[in-house]
Amino acid sequence: MSKEEYRIVKGQVMVPYELALGRTWSEFYDYLKEEKIMGKKCGKCSRVLVPPRSFCPRCFEDMDEWVEVSQEGVVETWVYVNMPFFAQEIKIPFISAQIRLDGSDTGFIHQVAGIDLSDFDSVRETVKLGGRVKAVWSKEKKGNILDIAYFEPVK
Amino acid sequence: MGKAVAIIGTGQTKHGRRSDVCYPDLVKEAVSAALMDAGITLKDIDGVVLGTMPSMMEGVSSTHFYFAEAMGAVGKPVMKVETCGSTGQSIGHCGFFWVASGMADIVLVVGSEKMSEGDGQATMTTVFDPFFQRTFAAGAPGVFTMQSMEWMYRFKIPEEKGREAAAMISVSNHDNAMDNPYAHIRTRVTMDDVKNARVITYPVRLLDVCPASDGACAVVFASERTAKKICKKPAWIKGLGFRGEEFFYGESDKAIWMSATEAAKEAYQQAGIRNPMKQLDVAELYNPFTYQEMIFYECFGFCPRGEAPDYVLKGAFKKGGQLPCCPSGGTLCTNPIGATGLIRLAEAALQVTGKAGARQVEGAKLALSHAMGGVDQFNAVTILGSKL
Amino acid sequence: MRRVAITHVAQSSGAESRESLMDFTYQINREILDKAGLKREDVGCIIAGSADIFHSGLSCANAFDWDGIGAFLKEGSRAEESAMSFIYGCMRILSGHYDTVLVTALVKGSENPDNDPITSFYGDPFYLRPVGINESVVAAMQMRQYMERYKVTEEQCAKVAVKNLANALFNPYADRKRRVSLKDVMSSERVYDPLKALECAPKSDGVVSVLLASESRAKKLTKKPVWFAGYGCSMDHFNPGDRDLLNGQLKTAAAAAYKMAGVRDPKKKIDVAEVCEPYAFQELLWCEQLGFCGEGGGGKLIDSGATQMDGALPVNPSGGVLATNPYPARGLYRIAEAALQIKGEAGEHQVGKKVKTALAHSTHGFGGQCHSVVILSA
Repeated sequence: MSKEEYRIVKGQVMVPYELALGRTWSEFYDYLKEEKIMGKKCGKCSRVLVPPRSFCPRCFEDMDEWVEVSQEGVVETWVYVNMPFFAQEIKIPFISAQIRLDGSDTGFIHQVAGIDLSDFDSVRETVKLGGRVKAVWSKEKKGNILDIAYFEPVK
Repeated sequence: MGKAVAIIGTGQTKHGRRSDVCYPDLVKEAVSAALMDAGITLKDIDGVVLGTMPSMMEGVSSTHFYFAEAMGAVGKPVMKVETCGSTGQSIGHCGFFWVASGMADIVLVVGSEKMSEGDGQATMTTVFDPFFQRTFAAGAPGVFTMQSMEWMYRFKIPEEKGREAAAMISVSNHDNAMDNPYAHIRTRVTMDDVKNARVITYPVRLLDVCPASDGACAVVFASERTAKKICKKPAWIKGLGFRGEEFFYGESDKAIWMSATEAAKEAYQQAGIRNPMKQLDVAELYNPFTYQEMIFYECFGFCPRGEAPDYVLKGAFKKGGQLPCCPSGGTLCTNPIGATGLIRLAEAALQVTGKAGARQVEGAKLALSHAMGGVDQFNAVTILGSKL
Repeated sequence: MRRVAITHVAQSSGAESRESLMDFTYQINREILDKAGLKREDVGCIIAGSADIFHSGLSCANAFDWDGIGAFLKEGSRAEESAMSFIYGCMRILSGHYDTVLVTALVKGSENPDNDPITSFYGDPFYLRPVGINESVVAAMQMRQYMERYKVTEEQCAKVAVKNLANALFNPYADRKRRVSLKDVMSSERVYDPLKALECAPKSDGVVSVLLASESRAKKLTKKPVWFAGYGCSMDHFNPGDRDLLNGQLKTAAAAAYKMAGVRDPKKKIDVAEVCEPYAFQELLWCEQLGFCGEGGGGKLIDSGATQMDGALPVNPSGGVLATNPYPARGLYRIAEAALQIKGEAGEHQVGKKVKTALAHSTHGFGGQCHSVVILSA
């Protein structure tokens, strides 16, 4: 038997989970329903983290103070995704971006949309590093990250 | 500090698409090669360390069970250590500490992956949390592209210059892989080939990106006494460091990349390296993406921040350059993830022991090996030397 | 050789937590650092013990673990099973490179599927998985052989569940808290005959941390250091059909641990044991292989009362894995409980006798494919 004749077995594994958000993240999503983006501020290093955390990963202390951050921010970096893969939630092409919301100290990962994504060259004219974007809210709030539908470039 | 530990043997499979063997047989191929290289048998092994990618990638969970025979572990103590992409280096570190602890004299370290059997990018996507970031994740290329864009913007590297340097890195890695009989991708490419290849995640093109490979690697670690007794040319571990950043992407600065910088700093300090560019003879970086390789040069102190493209364009890191990087062709030409970091270590060991064949850097005495893991979250560095 | 001590222990309850895994982890590591009077920065190295996607819904578990265990920009690593994480922590100190290591095991069993579908993925995709093999299936086959070969009765096996669940009533961290009679166990559902529901471990949440220190640091950090004295581990063949299920690798692992700890007669020397028994009868089989009684003597051992909380060699005073089963973390729970017994800090489930030497055992894989044994001493 030649190498090419060895067999391959095809299989798929599906496993269900129920993952707890806990208090801090549940509250974050409650705020999203009210169209507020909230971070938590560390009492020690004063950084504001979005998404919020119950503790500061660097100082390893509890973070109790909620702070509302701006719905506008600066694009720190972005990527034009044109590569399909298994179980991708958003249809390609889409833009993933790291956005520093005004009043926060961390990059927030979301998508930039609301513009014509079909032509890459025109996208590059609109989406720029250091450019400003603002949140566009979904009408129906489902209590997940897509309650913010996307961020769109500020003209 | 502590006891000296050496690498006394390494083994690799031929990497690539290996549908000619089942997964355990692939592991066995590397283990047999390493034992033969070290001139020992399974009886001499006191313990086995295994690392692979997570079950999502493997299609089998807890592979230390599945590979029990293949890795020669029956009747022996086993450690299963995994840190995502940096696994290959982390298992090497475990091999080092096991011997250095005095609890074992000879330890076999095994890393493996059969990328052709699972979905690598779907796996990478599940490294992201399901609460906030997974929705927007675009596998490894998406993240590494974001990082590269941030880096170029921060240091005001013109897009054309970054493109030119990245293309040169691709060409030289592909050239180097021609000298490596184990490499997956063994074809020469031109600058034009790279610049005109299909866009994956702009500006990253197909030839800026590593392949998905099947492959395994095994490395034998031994105590000073045993290494001196049974090995003519051991590779000595001079320093090692592992650092991780916060989980959420965007929380720490990936253009500066603290984990890479600090892991190298730790390893340099242990190895007594003050000027890496001068003291190191060769480096095997974990470079799945051309642009990212340049960020590593800066984090590891090979050149000032923002100047990597200039150094690349001058040929500093090419074969025959000031500090040859990835003479094996690197991760860019071979990436069986769970094995990749260990392959870097094995290649570094081959270099400092003069056993690297056609890819040998003449007279290499001190080598850096490295791996990166998670969503740009972890970095591991190991320094090897020809002298104790 | 340098010495390593466990200086402090912190553990969560095994009951379902509503916290996110990240917060759940942070709370325990915050607690242990506070107990030791240390800051995150003071710890030399941090090792996680956690399993990936099937146990967490996340690939590369260490990525998500990292913040909660407090490892930002610290030296660290992760092993997939928590007894291995513990040993790795000991290695780091024995090497002379570190003076303190924090080892933390974590999982939220309540969030992932049942043990059986998860352990079925241990099986290869060609032979074992398609025919429905999982840990419980192999355990049931093992139990049938055990009863047949040594004439151990089903009731004797069930008594382990009665004993351990009774012990769990005195452990504030136990998950399954319910007093059960022999009749309850015997009449519980025959899930994998001869295994009955109450003879199979539940699925629990759990975060447990131990702080390890070198001899000089340990003496500064605590008045009651618990010394790491011995370790053994051994891996068996993958295919259950390739081995004698009643004569696996535990003897090899135990022999190595006893040798390192200088234990000649475990029956006399070991004061208390925390044994990993996801299936009731396995406690009897493992006790034989640990040398607590002769081959086939497990049934008589439980009948004698020796392994009860006030017996000559108490086994699982915490209630064991039958009461609390945070799967990848359960090995470190055994080690933490053994340490608490030596410290005399086990509270209501502190055994009656004075504890100088304690044994902790961990196993995972089909029919106990891999066993680890740790000996701790006062």
